[in-house]
Amino acid sequence: MIESFIGLEIHIQLLTKTKVFCNCKNEFTHVPNSHVCPVCMGYPGVLPVLNEEAVRKAYIVCRAMNCHLNEKAVFDRKNYFYPDMPKNYQISQFNSPFGVKGLIEMDGMPKVRIHDAHLEEDAGKLVHEGMTSYCDYNRAGTPLLEIVTEPDFKKPEEAELFMQNFRKMVRYLGVCDGNMEEGSMRCDVNVSVNFEGKGLGRKVEVKNLNSFRHVKLALQYEIQRQSRMITAGESVVQETRLWNDEKKRTEGMRSKENANDYRYFPEPDLPPYCPTKEFLAQIDAAQVELPWVRKKRFIDEYGLNEDGAEFLTEEKDKADFFENAVKGGISVANAASWMRGEVAKDLNKAKKSLCDSFLTVEKFVTVIKLLEAEKINAQAAKKVMDIIINEDADPMQVIEKNNLMQTADSGEVEAMVEKLLAENTKVVAQIKGGDQKPIGFLIGQLMKVSGGKADPKKARELILNKISQLG
Amino acid sequence: MFDVLKTPEDRKAFQEQVSVADKGIHSFLELDATKKECKNPSGPLAFIPFGVKDNIAVEGFHLTCASKILENFVSPYNATAVEKLEAAGGIVVGKTNMDEFGMGSSTDFSAFGGTNNPWNKECVTGGSSGGSAAAVAAGLVPVALGSDTGGSIRQPAAFCGVYGLKPTYGAVSRYGLVAYASSLDVIGVLSKDLDLTEKVFNVIKGQDWHDQTSIAYPSEPAKPVKGRLSFTYLEGDLGLSPEIEKGYKALIQAIKDKGFEIKGVQVPSLEYVIPVYYTIATAEASANLARYNGIRYGHRSKEGETPMDLMEKSRNEGFGDEVKLRILLGTYVLRSGFQDQYYIKAQKIRTKIIDDFKNIFSSSDIFVAPAFPSQAFKHGNAGLTPYQQKVADKFTVTANLTGMPALSIPVGVENGLPVGMQLFANYCSENLLFDAARELSDVFPVADAPEAL
Repeated sequence: MIESFIGLEIHIQLLTKTKVFCNCKNEFTHVPNSHVCPVCMGYPGVLPVLNEEAVRKAYIVCRAMNCHLNEKAVFDRKNYFYPDMPKNYQISQFNSPFGVKGLIEMDGMPKVRIHDAHLEEDAGKLVHEGMTSYCDYNRAGTPLLEIVTEPDFKKPEEAELFMQNFRKMVRYLGVCDGNMEEGSMRCDVNVSVNFEGKGLGRKVEVKNLNSFRHVKLALQYEIQRQSRMITAGESVVQETRLWNDEKKRTEGMRSKENANDYRYFPEPDLPPYCPTKEFLAQIDAAQVELPWVRKKRFIDEYGLNEDGAEFLTEEKDKADFFENAVKGGISVANAASWMRGEVAKDLNKAKKSLCDSFLTVEKFVTVIKLLEAEKINAQAAKKVMDIIINEDADPMQVIEKNNLMQTADSGEVEAMVEKLLAENTKVVAQIKGGDQKPIGFLIGQLMKVSGGKADPKKARELILNKISQLG
Repeated sequence: MFDVLKTPEDRKAFQEQVSVADKGIHSFLELDATKKECKNPSGPLAFIPFGVKDNIAVEGFHLTCASKILENFVSPYNATAVEKLEAAGGIVVGKTNMDEFGMGSSTDFSAFGGTNNPWNKECVTGGSSGGSAAAVAAGLVPVALGSDTGGSIRQPAAFCGVYGLKPTYGAVSRYGLVAYASSLDVIGVLSKDLDLTEKVFNVIKGQDWHDQTSIAYPSEPAKPVKGRLSFTYLEGDLGLSPEIEKGYKALIQAIKDKGFEIKGVQVPSLEYVIPVYYTIATAEASANLARYNGIRYGHRSKEGETPMDLMEKSRNEGFGDEVKLRILLGTYVLRSGFQDQYYIKAQKIRTKIIDDFKNIFSSSDIFVAPAFPSQAFKHGNAGLTPYQQKVADKFTVTANLTGMPALSIPVGVENGLPVGMQLFANYCSENLLFDAARELSDVFPVADAPEAL
């Protein structure tokens, strides 16, 4: 039997207003070299100035991962030459990073130990066009937090699931948008195989993984490749490989690119960072219930099924919305089904997320409460929901304006039914003849003439009664 | 006294006079007295012309560091020290010569030709702030900024017979100082006028948000530990030339004659300062100089075929031999597996040296030592080899390793060349250095170089 060992190195770009060591804007732009200054361009004589917001967000993540927080965190220079690195060294943390020895526990997953989490600066981008290479330094100096796990995963699927949950976590914490396609979250994997009981094998690092799928595919490929090798008595070369998504395989890099000695030493331009008690209290205050914990609680506390809990805890906004709606006095079943159904559908159509739509918990609760009290019917509720998602409108006014209150005057509806039956004698005859199918048509017509005010549940009964009364 | 730059005509005249006088000295790499206006006519430094070492950024002036790799680089910004000078009314008139990137003790390692000592043109000015020292000694400017990583202000000041202050590390912002060795570098002042040296220091010091290693300088002046200034000096055979030996004895005698307490000490850790200094300085330099690759600015090779190739060739063409040597040395001491043996060991010894000096300053205020074992040496092969020059830095590098302030003072002229000594003090005790120097200034008045303006 062959065992595999997988560790992850996850980079997240922190959501800060400015870059980590200068005042340039930390935001994506298509205009090359427009968010740059002498500091992030590595001009002669400039010095880095540490961005407190980046530090705060980095510590929030460290705390969420139960890391031990070093009393004195030290920045180091990681030396290597590459044209997109303005200083040809990266300011990072090596011996004494912000957080070490963390632990993440999720259901259905082995415990994942966090080796460390360290703050560093991103590099620029090199764009090759034909024989020319262009440098864009907009990204240079973007704050990056690198999280390194121990090789605690056994299966590619576990690594993939962890990544998905990790992404949710950083979004819950509001520190990173988690967009893998745009590179604001990136992942390298370390993988080794060995015969069972023999411990770790020789480690291969795989880079260039731009989606959760790539992570899984690359791991599957590597485990197969390495397993074949050791089974055949060959030894695996310790190296860095790149995922080639077109060919669906990993490929070795040229040996020169592999031969880096980073020559770490403490960054003399930045004093060590020593978090104060007040700062750490702020970090504690910024903690939130983590998505996988919340999901489990939703299942236990609200009796939701796995899918429902998964959907509702996908984003913190959504989970908060749900819980506040239930607190607002509507049933769990209605809150969950309406959020998963109509609200999700309307938001999707409007290409909006919950937080940037006009829907508020109060409005949602108002509508669902009217529905639960049978003041409006489901069709009317859907109509109102659609409007209050897309417009800044008051649900009560929408209902009044569109005359959507279910009419309490049964006499009025009865009159409508009588009129309808008189106008559709053929259909009535059909029903009398025992064919129940056209009754749906009549219900539809009734809803139409009543402007949705008739209760569809009661309509069927009423129509059948009237037909039987016709004798 | 300094009305030379009041009107455009004054500036033009100044420019002409100085450029002529500098012909045989070559203290300036760029001289333009018409570029900058006085920004504060009532400021403490109003209309005072400044020379600025060419590794300190002055907006609109070149910032070459005397290196081919930055030959055409014009600074888009001001160093904080320059910003403060200008705010006090000072006017930058030019950029002074130096050893390439501050690496040297002669200024002969300038890619644009060395500087001649105004006292004797066959001799070097010392370095690396040799241009600043020569410009001040020759009377071209009353004051100049220099930088000191291992003695680069104090040794040329001694060679040229002027005052040279290396402040406490962090007292003056390093923002805008092109880094050689970041944990040792500091901007300082050279002048023949002690009061002006102090005044300029007081203008440029202070915490700066651009430089997180800068410190909040105490507002209260440091007080002597025993109420009155007390001194210590180095005992034993220090390997000095006869002229320097004589000067050192004369200084100690003058201190005694003035009635100050002075006692001899031995500092065994001084034997280690040279290897420690060159390990730390070159390690930091190897990273600091990595940014010069011909991609964003500076010399770019015409030969590069790939981006990596372009960087290699640009660096090979752009750097001089001494700079390459130090980059290689720094790369060597930092390589994986050898850090404990070199870099970390050097840091441990550095801590020990700091402790030794804290101990000295717990019972006395001023430690006196030679600036250099000899007077200014000759250019080229007649002078000291680069190795001899490095070993001779032992009296200066100590203050950089401890981060404590030191002031070079002239103590006379022997054989037509100045003799310079150093005063060391505890952190943020620059005022005690100035007090001590003032006490001694009547015994050792500043002498003018033969053709000084």
